Amino acid sequence: MADQPTATERFLQGILPENPVYRQLLGLCPTLAVTNGMKPAITMACSVAFVLVCANVVISLLRNLLKPHLRIVIFTLTIATFVTIADRVLAAYLYQMSKTLGPYIPLIIVNCLIICRCEVCASKQGPFVAASDALGQSLGFGLALASIAAVRELLGTGGLFGYQLLPAAWPDWVIMVLPPGAFITLGLLLGLVNWYSARKSGGSI
Amino acid sequence: MNYIIDIFLIALSAAVINNFVLYYFVGICPFIGVSRRVDMAFGMGCAVTFVISIAAFLSWTITTMVLIPGAPLSSFIAGFFVSKEAAATIDLTVLSYIVYIFSISSSVQFVEMYVRKFFPALYKSFGVFLPLITTNCAILFACLTIMSNVAGVENPADAWDLGRSLTLALFGGLGFTIAIVIMSGIREDLDLCDVPEPFKGAAITLVVGGILALAFMGFTGVDSGLRKAITPGGEVAMEISVEQVQTAMIEPNLHQQIRGIND
Amino acid sequence: MKAILRTNLGQAWLVLLLALIFGMSLAGVQAALGPKIEENKLKETLEKVPVVILGQQAADELTAKGETLVITPNTVAVEKGPVTKYYTLYKADFKDGTPAGWVAKTKGQGYADKIELLVGMDADAGKVTGLFILDQKETPGLGNKIVEDAWRAQYGNKDTATPFKVVKLATGGVNEIDAISGATISSKAVTKLVNQAVSDLKPQVAQLKDSDGKGVQ
Repeated sequence: MADQPTATERFLQGILPENPVYRQLLGLCPTLAVTNGMKPAITMACSVAFVLVCANVVISLLRNLLKPHLRIVIFTLTIATFVTIADRVLAAYLYQMSKTLGPYIPLIIVNCLIICRCEVCASKQGPFVAASDALGQSLGFGLALASIAAVRELLGTGGLFGYQLLPAAWPDWVIMVLPPGAFITLGLLLGLVNWYSARKSGGSI
Repeated sequence: MNYIIDIFLIALSAAVINNFVLYYFVGICPFIGVSRRVDMAFGMGCAVTFVISIAAFLSWTITTMVLIPGAPLSSFIAGFFVSKEAAATIDLTVLSYIVYIFSISSSVQFVEMYVRKFFPALYKSFGVFLPLITTNCAILFACLTIMSNVAGVENPADAWDLGRSLTLALFGGLGFTIAIVIMSGIREDLDLCDVPEPFKGAAITLVVGGILALAFMGFTGVDSGLRKAITPGGEVAMEISVEQVQTAMIEPNLHQQIRGIND
Repeated sequence: MKAILRTNLGQAWLVLLLALIFGMSLAGVQAALGPKIEENKLKETLEKVPVVILGQQAADELTAKGETLVITPNTVAVEKGPVTKYYTLYKADFKDGTPAGWVAKTKGQGYADKIELLVGMDADAGKVTGLFILDQKETPGLGNKIVEDAWRAQYGNKDTATPFKVVKLATGGVNEIDAISGATISSKAVTKLVNQAVSDLKPQVAQLKDSDGKGVQ
């Protein structure tokens, strides 16, 4: 395994070139569900970051002990434990937020992003690389969530983080904070990202 | 009769009104990934419905028997070590996520082996999707919904019984199938359309999904209206309260039975 | 799981060991945070009790004076033909023992999902003092206006003798509630919950009050 990416490469790759949402289309369930406001989106991104970093480091420390056919079981066990911890901590210190996010916090367990990073990176490389990979990926995930949430909250309620930004005459596009708005916003942003990266790489449109 | 109405409304709500994919956003990955052809989408839908029902049965049983405070099995075992009163307060719900994800992945493996051995034809049609299902959020979501309706209620009498839980799972799976089959039908036609280059693939699927979600939003509120229409003495009952009708729907003898099971 | 059973312990020891360690760490987390979570759940309701009974202003004044209401929760069972409906009914007293009022927690179907709310009543259950929505998932911009102060204020200080009635364009009649435009169903759902709680609990309040009085004597 001579040409495994280094820690810095892993970190930088996660943010844009291999962005989990826009490039790999992973973890779409929370991406759509909790992006009706900036606050839940940021909380979700932080919870995912916590679980991803912890799970990646633990798996990476155990990587030499893993048996191929048992590795998924161990991944799931580790992830489920850290998700439970995150869920309890949120319920204890951010009770209202944990009520808003509801089932989407436990659903981090089946977020393909985390299991994918455990498989691709943590089960092959050391804890330091795994941690920086996790940080990069969760930063990328957080950016994606924030970008969608910003569009939806701004158009849907005329403000960000609950503060009014657009003039009061703005007719709130309620549809943006409802389920259909999530699909349409992500679809359009995805198209935009594709278009931009195709232009940058000089491809023809 | 009232129990049947309750079941019917849970079913309707899970299948179309609060559709798993288009309202709760669970099961998006296969919704985007496997919805290229109608037959594949249908196979995936069937597999999910199958597994979701088994997982719902397991999670309901485990939640009521082991996890919630005062559950028979955990208080029985704890009864050997501590006093009876202390044993009845043991709350294992902190372990619920781990337990659910394990019951899901084990039931997926078990179903896969069973189907491959005894129903090779069936295995051919949807067996390939089975391993993918473990990480399908829809199944864990169904388990979590059941848990919140069993462990999260304030009064034990309001807790869901097995029938309601299975209905939610079965029709939630059906709702997933409906959504993914509609989507695949649209995508088959979409292949013939001139979609702008950057939107090809996932982006246009998401936009179409948004329009579908918009259509499904039209079902919101249908359940309370239907409840009003089909409940015996509808208008009068509605005047008292929706909640009361809901509670009153459990017929006396059934109610006794349910309580018997829960006790 | 099946795979684990089939393979021998030599292969599965890591899984078992991890399960043990993780189980223990979760038990630790639960032991540390469990009481706090329970407290959060309770506080959510209890914090609102003075506001619902006395109104925001009086409740703020009370807090400014450094006083709190003494709140006692009761579980009340109301027989409804074949079934029994349960309410959590909070009794609130001033520090000197004078009763301040009652708050009932109730839950029912709204337009999109269940609505959970608190209804405040004065000491004799003769008046509804206020309303607070604990949990709702109504349509943003339409149905979720039920949480707004202006709309909820319509339930403040109203006689319980007549049930509330939702009307479009209130004419100032007794206990008329102005429907939120575009969200008549949400408005009606809330009103029905309030009416039901009041009619169910009025006799219960009288009973509890009597038994309390006897207890003191």
